[in-house]
Amino acid sequence: MNVQAYIESGVIESYVLGMIDMQDASELQGLSNQYPEIRRDIEKFEYLLEKASFINAIGPPPALKEKLILALQDDFAKEERVIKLNTVASNENYTAPVKTMAPWTRYMAAASVVLLIASAALNYYLYNQIKTSDRKYADLVKENSTVTADNRVYQTKMLDIYNGMQLMSNPSMIKVVMPGIKGKEEDLATVFWDSKTKDVYLLANKLPQVSDDKQYQLWALVDGKPVDAGVLGECNGLCKLKNIQKAQAFAITLEKKGGSIAPDLTQLHVLGKVV
Amino acid sequence: MLLKQRHQFAFSYLYDNYSSALQSIILNIVPDYDQSADVLQEVFVKIWKQIETYDETKGRLFTWMLNVARNASIDTVRSKAWQNSKQNNELTETNFSAAGSVQMNVDQIGLRKIVHQLKDEHKILVELSYFKGYTQDEISKMLDIPLGTVKTRLRTALIHLRQTIKQ
Repeated sequence: MNVQAYIESGVIESYVLGMIDMQDASELQGLSNQYPEIRRDIEKFEYLLEKASFINAIGPPPALKEKLILALQDDFAKEERVIKLNTVASNENYTAPVKTMAPWTRYMAAASVVLLIASAALNYYLYNQIKTSDRKYADLVKENSTVTADNRVYQTKMLDIYNGMQLMSNPSMIKVVMPGIKGKEEDLATVFWDSKTKDVYLLANKLPQVSDDKQYQLWALVDGKPVDAGVLGECNGLCKLKNIQKAQAFAITLEKKGGSIAPDLTQLHVLGKVV
Repeated sequence: MLLKQRHQFAFSYLYDNYSSALQSIILNIVPDYDQSADVLQEVFVKIWKQIETYDETKGRLFTWMLNVARNASIDTVRSKAWQNSKQNNELTETNFSAAGSVQMNVDQIGLRKIVHQLKDEHKILVELSYFKGYTQDEISKMLDIPLGTVKTRLRTALIHLRQTIKQ
C-alpha cells in the first residue's frame, strides 16, 4: 500500500474534522496502528487544527464558568486525587504525595468526617428553622399592628356617629331638610341647628362626589342675604360647621376648595327653609 | 490523561484553556452570541459527563471536544425552535444586532477565518458539510454535482485547508 498517497488523499483531514463515514474511519484507525507515519500525520493535523481554533478566539461570557461549576457540582470527584494533564496548553504534571494511615486512624478520620457532615447538616436545618420562625413572627407583628390601627379607626367612626345621634335627638335641635333644587332632585342634605347654642351641624345625606379642588359650602340666608356657614370637610356622620345666630333658610353650593366669600348660585345644589 | 477522575480542578483547567476555542467554533456555526454561549454550556456539561467515552488512543482531547461542540452546534441550528427564531431574524442575516441578540461577523474567528481564505468552490463545500452539517449526498443534490465529485472536491478542499493553516 502506498502510505504517502493515502496520507495525502485528504482522508486524514476528513477523519479529524469528523467528516468521514464509519467505514472509512475504522479503516483509517486500523491503518494508523499499522503505519506510524499515518498516526504521526493525524497528530500533526490535530495539532494544526487546535492551533487554528484559537485564531481570534472569542471567550464565553465571564459568568458561565461559575454557572457550570455550580451545575456540575454533583459530578465532581469528592476526594482529592492525583490529576495529571497532558495537553497542548500545558505539559505540567501535578502530583501530590500520598501517605498511608494506620487503620484505626482511618476509621477515626472517616468517623470525624461523618460527624462533621452530620453536624453541618443539622446546623443548616436549624438555621433554616430559625429563619422561618423569624419571618413568621415578623409577619404576625405586622398583621397585629394593622388590626390594631383598623380597630382604632372604627372606634373613632363609631364615636362620631354616636355623638351625632345624641345631637340629633337633642330636643332643642331644629331640623332643616334641604332637598335638591330643580334639576338636582336626587341631592339631599340636612341641617341640625341648635336653637340654644346656635351651633350648626350638617348631614350630607346625598351629594355627588366632587373633585379634590372643590368643596361644598353651606350658606345661611339671613334676611335675603347669604352668610357663610362653613365648608363641608372630612367627617363621619354629622359635621359641625359655623355658629349661626339667625337664619330663615340654608343652602349648599359647590365652591372652590376652602370656600368663597359669595355663593356661586349656578352651583346651587340644595335649599331648605327653617320651619 | 487522567482527567477522567473528574476533579473540579481538572474541569477548571479544561475550561480556562479551551472555552474560548470551543466558543469560537460554536460561534462559527451559531452566530448569535447569547445562543452560542448556551450551546457552550451544554457542550461543557456533555464533555464532563461523557469524559470516559473519550478514547485517547484515537486522538487528542481537543479534537474530541471540538467534535462534541460542532455536533451540538449543528443540532442547535437544525432544531425546530432555532429555525423559528431564525425566521424572525431573516433580514438581519449576518452581522446586525436585532432585538437584543448579537449576530456576530464570524468570518474572522477561529477555523472559519481559514475556510474564508479558500477558493469559492472549496469554501462552499466546507461551509455546507463542516459548518452546516449536510451529508455529501445532500450537498450533491443541493449543488447538482455528482456525489463522487463532491467527495473528491471536499478532500481537496480539506488539503488546502490544512496548507492554509500551516502558513
